[in-house]
This record gives sequence, C-alpha cells and structure tokens, in this order.
Amino acid sequence: MQTGMQARKYRLQGAGLDLALPYLMLAPGLMVVLGVLVYPLWDGLRASTRAYRYGSPVADVGFHNYVQLWSDAQFLNSLWVTVKFVALSVSIEAVLGFALALFCLHEFRGIRLLRTVLIIPMVITPVVVAILFRLIYASDAGMLTALSEAMGGGGVQILGNPLNAFIGLVVLDVWEWTPLMFLILLAGLQSLPHEPFEAARVDGAGSWRVFADLTFPMMRPVLAIAIVLRTIDAFGTFDQVFVLTRGGPGEATRLISIYGYDTAFKFQQTGYAAALFVTIGLVVLALAFSAIRLLRRIDAS
Amino acid sequence: MSTRLARILTTIFVLAIVLLPIYWLVSTSLKSNREITQEGTLYPHVPTLDNYVRLFTEKQFGSYLTNSLVVTFFSVAIALVFGAMGAYAIARFRLPFAAERKVGLFLLTLRIIPPVVILIPVYLLMLSLGLLDSWLGLIATYTAFNVTFCVWMMESFFREIPVDLEEAAMVDGDSRFGAFRRITLPLAAPGLAATAIFAVLVTFNEFLFALALTATPRAMTMPRGTATLIGRIDTDWASMAAAGVIGALPIVFFALLVQRHLVRGLTMGAVK
Repeated sequence: MQTGMQARKYRLQGAGLDLALPYLMLAPGLMVVLGVLVYPLWDGLRASTRAYRYGSPVADVGFHNYVQLWSDAQFLNSLWVTVKFVALSVSIEAVLGFALALFCLHEFRGIRLLRTVLIIPMVITPVVVAILFRLIYASDAGMLTALSEAMGGGGVQILGNPLNAFIGLVVLDVWEWTPLMFLILLAGLQSLPHEPFEAARVDGAGSWRVFADLTFPMMRPVLAIAIVLRTIDAFGTFDQVFVLTRGGPGEATRLISIYGYDTAFKFQQTGYAAALFVTIGLVVLALAFSAIRLLRRIDAS
Repeated sequence: MSTRLARILTTIFVLAIVLLPIYWLVSTSLKSNREITQEGTLYPHVPTLDNYVRLFTEKQFGSYLTNSLVVTFFSVAIALVFGAMGAYAIARFRLPFAAERKVGLFLLTLRIIPPVVILIPVYLLMLSLGLLDSWLGLIATYTAFNVTFCVWMMESFFREIPVDLEEAAMVDGDSRFGAFRRITLPLAAPGLAATAIFAVLVTFNEFLFALALTATPRAMTMPRGTATLIGRIDTDWASMAAAGVIGALPIVFFALLVQRHLVRGLTMGAVK
C-alpha cells in the first residue's frame, strides 16, 4: 500500500518543468524564512559571544556572556519571577478551564452566549488587556478604588505594592487565557467516545467516580498538550507586563523578557542581551521537547 | 431544579467576570479626566466623545490604524500564498533524501522558538538595511513569522484532500500547478480561511517587534501607538481608555464575525 502510494506520487511528478515544481513552490517561503528568521538567529548567536559598546561590537568574549548570566542577581531574580508567574497562572487556568469545560459539556440555554463572550479576552490585543487591568487597578482612576469608595472605603493599592502587583499580573493572565484552556478542553471532552460513559451509567457509577476513572484519565493527553502550549506561550509574556507595570514595583513583576528588553534597548548591552535571549530560547525548546517525549509516553501507555 | 439554578448563576458569574473590565474600559472612555480622577463615578454622568475625537485630531490614531491595516494585510496575504505553496509541496511531493519532510520539521522547530530570541538581530538587520520605522521592515518580519505558521497549518489541510482529484484533473490536461490552483486550493479554502484568520489576529495584535522596529507615527501600529500614551508621569486615563476601545474594536468585531473558524483554528492543533 505504502509503496503503491509512493509510486503513484513519483508518476504524478511527471517530467520536464513539473520536476522542478516542488522546489519552485518551496523556494519563496523558504527564502523569506532564511532571510528574516534563520539569518538573524545565526547573527544573534554570533552577537551573544561579543561585547558591544554604543551598539557596535568591540570584542569577542566567547561564552563569557553566558557564564555571567548565572551570577547576575537581576537575571536570576527575573527567571524566578517568570517561573512563579508561569506555574501559578497556568495551573489556575487549567483547573478553571477544565471545570468550566465540564460545566458546559451539557447543552443548555445561554451556552452559546457564554462561548461567544469567552472568545473576547483571548482575541483582544494584549496591550489593550493591560490597559483594561490598569484601569481596574489604578489607585486614582481604578474600578476597585471606585467600588471601594462607593461602599465607603478608601483607595485600593495594587500596582504600588510588590505582592499585589504580582498577583494582579497573574489575575490578568488568568482572565486572558482561561478561555483558551476552556475551548481546547471542551473540544477534547466532546471528542471522547460515548460508550464507556453509558456503560458506567448503566453500572450506576456516581459522577465523581465517572470523572476520576473515565473522564480524567481519557483527557490526560489533551490536558497535557493544553498545559504545554500555554506554558511555552506564558514564558514569553511581554506586552501585558510592559504596559501594566513595566516590571515594577522594584523587580516584583520583571519577567525575563522584560529584563532582556531593558538590557538590550535601555542599557544597550547588546551582546549580553543576545546571550540572555538565546538562553530563553534553549529553555523553551528543552521544555517543548521534553513535553513531546512525555506525551509520547502517555500515548504509549 | 437546583442544577438549573446553579447553571444560571455560574453563567452569570462568568459573564460578569469577562464583561466587567470591558464595561469599565468603555465607561471610562466616555468620561472626562476630571470625572475619572476626582469624582470616581461608576458610570459616566456627563458622557462625552471628546476623548475619541482627541485621539484622531491630536494623537495620530488615524496613522496607527492605517499602518496596522496595511502591515497586517500584506504580511498575511504574502505569507498565505508562499505558505500554501510550500505546504502543498511538503504534503504531496517525495523529494530525494526526504528533503520535504526535513524542511517541514525545520519550519516547525522555528515556530517553537520564541520570537523574542531574534528580536535583537532582527533589529540590527533592519537597522543595517535602513528599514527601521518603515512598513516594509514590519511586513518582512511578520511575513516570515506567518509563513512558518501557514505552512504548518496548511500542510494538514492539504493531506486531507484526496490525490485522485488532482490526478483526474491532470488526465484532463491540467498541468501539476494548474491542478493545484484549480482543484486543490479551492477545496482547501476553509482551511485557508482558518489559517488567514488566525494569522490576522496574531499580526494585528503584535507588540514586541513593533516596539523595537518603529518609532514614529509613520510606521507605528495600533498596539505600539496605544502604548505610547502610557508611561508618562501624568497619565491621561481618558485617552488611554478611548485608545483601548479603538484598539480592541476591529479585532473583537473581526473575531466574533469569524467565530466558528477561529475556534476550529485555536483548538485544532491540540485535539488532533
């Protein structure tokens, strides 16, 4: 069968100009990608081994930039803040998204409205999402302050306090991305086979048993993929923080992407920043590949 | 009865959580700065459209909007054409050394790498080409990102279309490319639409590269322009809110219009 298909494809390729066709069709896209993605990637690797002054390279320093990262307290702190942010946001999103998906599995009136409205947070421009939350948190113009004053309280401080600002950022991310988790998990739930659930109902299993013995194990691959996708994405979060807190107060919400951006464009340490970004890239790639291996293992079992 | 009540309450609760921040944005955009900071009203007592007028007369939002539309349109259109051709080649041809499969894997790996990794070198590249603060620089960058995405998405759509249809067209005298253009491409139209929609969303909303690559209203996109209103010491909340509404409107409207395709595109990769 396989060889038959292959043979047919070879025959399809025909002769003459058609022989060059696959290359001609691949060429334009590849050229753009080589010019604007691959060349910069290589150039970035080169820049990461150099020291820069006023935007031009002045010396080759080998792996010095990479080594220096690990004794840079600000880098280590931004890495820690990022890990905390990602772990907290993604796990809350997974739990809420799963709960909401289970809730919406049975058709009822109002569900279409709910699904339509839930699309809004994840399609709104991230910069605007940050504006939304600044308008909620601001101590003078914010919704929280207005509500508190309407109920006779005083102003509410969110973005001026390190812990509150960090929680505020997590809340923003949960608001923005729980809907995506919900949609993926709902699609997963809807694609599960009916038979095991009917059998369980005939056997008189309670809803908790059905969830623990059937739904959850069967949903594990989809859940894993959704979590991996969100984790990779959350690791690169930039826009929302840039507009909401700019990394502050102090370093409380300074994610690794913000630190990298400041190092490159504010402090003009081009080589050092390049090394930082390459390191982020390697971490994310490692995450992605170990996740793929994990998923294969889940699939196999 | 109690489950019904629980459902209604949960639905209302979720709707409120999603919609309240949006209500506050719109409501703030209709107030004057005085009303916002000094009176702290819960709805606009003296509604005004001044904030919106000011965005277009004093703050160049017309240019931002134009820039965003031009850049998004061209980078998505070019990427769709290049990406569909590349995806078709990968899905249908068997090249020596399995080259087509290697190209596919290579593009997928490029997609996983976070864009922020090449932020600095792309900036240096555009600097050396004199393309900073121009449409062309942004279009080139976004096209490259969109091409990897389009190839990856379109490939699976092409695989679902049976080869026999193309063969039949070629027996009838079509060239290979003709069969692709007249038979396969129209059949893949729903997939093409889902791909385009997703690319439009991501491109229109992009901020990081727009921040690094543009500096004046000549090329600044909507998100980039909106962010310039922020960060001054005395924040102009009313303009900021109006900018948020203007920035969000086109894309939310677009998303709700194409909702069905969008949900398919968002969830496809994960469930397959």
